[in-house]
Amino acid sequence: MAVSEEEVRRIALLARLEVDQAEVEGLQKHFNDILAHFHDLRNVDLGELQPGEGERKTVCPLREDSIENWDGRESALEEAPSREGDFFITPRIIGGEPDEVS
Amino acid sequence: MKFHEMTARETAEGIKKGVFSASEAVKASLDRMKRMEPALNAVVTSLEENALERAMETDSKRARGDDLGPLGGVPVIVKDNMCTRNIRTTCGSRMLAQWKPPYSATVVELLEASGAILVGKSNMDEFAMGSSTEHSAFGPTSNPWDTDRVPGGSSGGSAAAVAAGYVPLALGSDTGGSIRQPAAFCGVHGLKPTYGLVSRRGLVAFASSLDQIGPLARSVDDLALAMDVIAAPDSRDSTCFRDPRPLYSGAFPDVAGKRVGLVREFGGDGIDAEIDGAVSEAAASLEKRGAEVVEISLPNAGVAGLPCYYILAPAEASSNLARYDGVRYGLKKDAPDLISQFLATRKAGFGPEVKRRILTGTFVLSSGYYDAYYLLAQNVRRVLRMEFEKAFEKADVLLMPAAPSPAFRKGELVDDPIRMYMTDLFTLPVNLAELPGMAMNTGYAKNGLPLGVQLVAPRFGEKVLFGFASALEEASGRPSVAGGGELS
Amino acid sequence: MSRGLQTVIGLEIHVQLDTRSKIFCGCSTDYIGAVPNSNVCPVCLGLPGSLPSPNEKVIRYAVAMALALGCSISETTIFHRKNYFYPDLPKAYQISQYDRPLAVNGSIEIETGDGPRTIGITRLHLEEDAGKLVHAASDGRLAGADHSMVDYNRAGVPLAEIVSEPDMKTPAEAREYVVRIRQIARYLGISDGDMESGSLRVDANISLTGPDGSLGSKVEIKNMNSLRALEHALEFEIRRQREVLSNGGTVEQETRHWDDASCVALSSRSKEEAHDYRYFPEPDIPELHISRHMIEDIGSSLPELPFNRKKRFQSDFGVTEDDANVLTERREIAEWFEGLVNAGSDPKRASNWIRGDLLRYLRESGVDLRDAPFSVAAIAELLGMVDSGTLSNTAARDVFTAMAETGLSVEKAMAGAGISAGGVSGKDLAALVDRILADNSDVLEEIRSGGDAKGKKLKFLQGLVMRETRGQADPAEAAGILRERAGVR
Repeated sequence: MAVSEEEVRRIALLARLEVDQAEVEGLQKHFNDILAHFHDLRNVDLGELQPGEGERKTVCPLREDSIENWDGRESALEEAPSREGDFFITPRIIGGEPDEVS
Repeated sequence: MKFHEMTARETAEGIKKGVFSASEAVKASLDRMKRMEPALNAVVTSLEENALERAMETDSKRARGDDLGPLGGVPVIVKDNMCTRNIRTTCGSRMLAQWKPPYSATVVELLEASGAILVGKSNMDEFAMGSSTEHSAFGPTSNPWDTDRVPGGSSGGSAAAVAAGYVPLALGSDTGGSIRQPAAFCGVHGLKPTYGLVSRRGLVAFASSLDQIGPLARSVDDLALAMDVIAAPDSRDSTCFRDPRPLYSGAFPDVAGKRVGLVREFGGDGIDAEIDGAVSEAAASLEKRGAEVVEISLPNAGVAGLPCYYILAPAEASSNLARYDGVRYGLKKDAPDLISQFLATRKAGFGPEVKRRILTGTFVLSSGYYDAYYLLAQNVRRVLRMEFEKAFEKADVLLMPAAPSPAFRKGELVDDPIRMYMTDLFTLPVNLAELPGMAMNTGYAKNGLPLGVQLVAPRFGEKVLFGFASALEEASGRPSVAGGGELS
Repeated sequence: MSRGLQTVIGLEIHVQLDTRSKIFCGCSTDYIGAVPNSNVCPVCLGLPGSLPSPNEKVIRYAVAMALALGCSISETTIFHRKNYFYPDLPKAYQISQYDRPLAVNGSIEIETGDGPRTIGITRLHLEEDAGKLVHAASDGRLAGADHSMVDYNRAGVPLAEIVSEPDMKTPAEAREYVVRIRQIARYLGISDGDMESGSLRVDANISLTGPDGSLGSKVEIKNMNSLRALEHALEFEIRRQREVLSNGGTVEQETRHWDDASCVALSSRSKEEAHDYRYFPEPDIPELHISRHMIEDIGSSLPELPFNRKKRFQSDFGVTEDDANVLTERREIAEWFEGLVNAGSDPKRASNWIRGDLLRYLRESGVDLRDAPFSVAAIAELLGMVDSGTLSNTAARDVFTAMAETGLSVEKAMAGAGISAGGVSGKDLAALVDRILADNSDVLEEIRSGGDAKGKKLKFLQGLVMRETRGQADPAEAAGILRERAGVR
C-alpha cells in the first residue's frame, strides 16, 4: 500500500516536524520501502501463540507514598531556554486549548 | 608503564597496591586521548579538570588507607546519552548540544561510588539511532583500526575509546545492537545485559522496552567487574528487577558438557566469509574444551526480527522524543507562536535519521495503522521470545555473528537507511527477546580489521556468557589495542 | 419538532487523589499556593532519562473508590501513553489508561424527584494531572496573551477518572450524581472533592434523543467549576439543542466551553487535526497486579457508605429522612451522631443538637470537627442533663458555647457561666414568678381579662422568667405556674 504525500504531511504535523517538498518525496519512498519490508511480518505464524505466552514476565513494583524533596529545582530552571522568575515561558498560544485533562 | 594496555582490574589493583598513582593513570589516559582524538573524534566532552581533581582525591584516600572501591582510580568513559549532573549531555544531537542535566544517571552514580573516574562523554549516533556513528551532530567517529572506516554505532565513541586504549572500560547503550556491533567493528568485547538488569534511570530514552546499558572492555573479566558495579536494583526504574544480582566476577562456569547452538539461519549467504570463519573457529575451539555443538533453528528471528524492530523501536522513539520542544531545556528557536516554536526547534534540533524514525513511529501508531503494524509487531515479538525460549531447551548458549561484515567504509551506507538497518540483523532479535548478548573479539581479518562473534544466553545467563567467552578468550588471546590509524 | 425529545447526559469526573506524593514520583501534591515549580523533580518535569515510579497509595485509593462504586476490579491493569503536544504536558504524553482500566461496571443510586435511580458507571481509571498554564494577558485568558507561563507543580498529581453511563435525564440528576460521587470520595478520605479549587472536575456529554429513539449528536461541555455552573450549562445546552432542532437544523458534534460570566457554552475553535492520541502501552511501567488480598483488605476497611448509613439511621434510630440526609452528608458528622447515640443520647435530641448548635458552630468558627475542643462524651453528658431536666435547652446552649470557646468540661463550663445544675423549681420558682408578675401587673391584667388570644403575652412573661433564672428553670414548670396565676389553661 502506497503512502500519499498528503499522508506524509499529516504525519509530519502530528509529530511537529516540518518537512519541505524534497523531504516529503524522500519520506514517501522511505515509508514505502519500509512497508514492503513489514510485509514479512504477516508471514509469521501467530497461530500457535497461547494467551499469555511470550509476554513480558515482569510485574510492576509499587512505591511507598512518601515525600522526597529534590534539590535540583534551581538547576532545572537555569536550563530553561526562556525563563521568567519561577516560570518556564512559551510564546503566544494560538488556536485554543486541546482536549486535555482539565 | 603502558596504561593503555592494562585492563580495568589491573589498573585498579596497581593503584591499590601503590605501584602507580591514580593521577598517573588518569593523566596517561587524558594524554592518549588528546593525541588520538584529532584522528578518531570519539569523545564529545573531555572532563580533564574534574578527572585530575578526582584522581588527586583518590590518591589522598589511598594515602590515608581508605577503601578506594572496586574501580578506584580507573579512568572510564560513558556514552553521551547518560546524564551526568552539571556536565553537558548531548546525545550526539544539536537539540541537546548545550544541555547540562541537573541529575546523574544511576549507572554514573554507581561508577562514581565504585571509585571510577569519568574522563569523557563519548560520541554516538544522534539519540542512539544509527549503526555507524556517522549521524552525530559532532562529526563522525573513526574506527581506530582504519580511520577511513566507521567504528559502528550507535556506541561508536565508547567502542573506539576502549579499542584505542583511552580507557580500559566504557559504558554504551544497546537498543538493537548498539554496543555489540561497534564492539565487533572495533575489536573489543561488549555486553548487552538482560533487559531489566541495569537501571535505565538517567539514560536518555530511545526505545524504552529495548534500551539497555552495558560495558565495553578488552577482557571478559573487566565486563564482569563492570557488571558487579552497574547491575544493581534501582527502585526508581520500574522495569529494573528488584532481586539481588549474583557476583559476576570470580570463577566462570566451565563449558565442558554444555551445548553451543549454531543458528542455521544465521550462517552462509550474505555473511562475510571471514566472519563465518570466525564463528566456525569459535565453535571448534569450544568443542575442544568439551562443549557440544548443536544446530539450532530460529525460523522467524532472521526474517521477522528486523521489521518487528523497525516498527516497535521508532514507535517508542517517536513518543520519547516528543518532549523536545524548546520549553524546558535544550535548543529553542525563536518563533512568534507556540506551534511555530515547536516546528522550528525540532527542525533545527534533529538530524535526518532521527526525523525519519520519528515519522515512521508516528505513522505506525496513528489511527488506522496501529492494528496493522504496531499490534502485529507486538505479537511477532512474543513469537520471537518463545522461539528463543525453545532454542534454549536444546542449547545453553547460542553462537552467531555480531554483524554480517567487518567495519564498512565511511559514507558507504549513510544514504541507504535500510541497508544500514540490516547490519543489525543478528543483534536486534536479542533485544526483542530481552536476552543477554555479548560481542567478543576473536581475531583479525586478512586486512587487519577486527573479527568477532556473538554469544547469546537465556535471560539472566550473564555468567554462562562469561564462561563461554572466557574459554574463547583463552584460545584467541585478549584483544589488542589499536594504533588509531594505519593498519599494520 | 422538540416534543418528545429526551435528554441524555453522561458525566466524566476527574477526582484528584489526596496522596502525599505524586502518582509517579516523590514530589509533594500540595501545589495550591506553592511557589511555582517548587514541587518538581526530573520525573514530573519529564527530563530526558527520567522514569515513572507508581505510588502504591494511589492504587489503594482508586481501588477503594472503585469498590465503593460497586465496580469490578481488574486483576491486571496497564498504563497507556496518550500522546499530544501542549506545554503543560512535560513529556508530550500523558500517562493514562486506555483499554485495560483499573475498574469497570459499577453503579450508584441517586435521589431524584421521582424516587431513587441507579446511574451506571462504565469505568474508573488512573492518570496523571498536567501542569498549569498562566496566560500573560490582563484578564488572564488565553486569547490576547502574548506569552504564557508554565508551572509544573501540578504535573503528576494523581487523578481517578470516573466515567458514567449516559443515564442521567436532567441537569438536576447530573448535579445529584456529582454530589453523590463527591460525597463518597470525601467519605473514603481519598479526596477533598472541591470543584472550585479543582480537586474535582466535571466534563459533561449531552445529547437529545428523538421520540423514535434516534440518538442526537453528543456535545461535550467543559470548564464548569461549580455545581451551579454544571446545572446552568446543561440547561443552556438543552435549550440550545432544542432550538437548533426545532429550526430544522442538526446538532453538530463538538466541544463547548462554559463561560460562567456570560452564561453561555461557547464553541471551541475548530482544530486543524482530529485527535489522534496514538495510544500505546506504557513501556516504562510493567503490568500492575492487584491481588485478591489487597482488594479484600481495602474492601473490609471501607467505611459504611453514605447511602447505607442513611438507611440505617432511619431504621435503627428512627430519625426522619430529612434528618438522616443532613446527618450523613459528611462522614465526621455521621460518626458524631452515632457516637452520641451510643453514649446514651436520645437520637432526636442528638440530631437536633447537631443540626442546630453543632453545624452553626462549625460554620461560624471555621473549625474542623476533628479539631473541636469538646468531645463526644462531653456533649453526650450535656445532652443527658437536658434529657433529665437538669438543664434547660437555653442553659445547655450557653454551656456549649462556653465549652466551645474554652475547651472546658461540662462542669467547669457550667460554673464559669454561672449556671448551676438542678435549676430553679418548686417554691423558689413560684416566688420568682410572682416577683415578675408584680413588676408586670399590667400585662397580667390583660391576660386575665382575656386579651391574649394568641398567648403571646404569656410567652413574653415566660421569657422574662426564663431570663431571670438564666434558663435554669424548667420551661414547662414555669409556664404551668404562670398559667395558674393568670387563670388561663
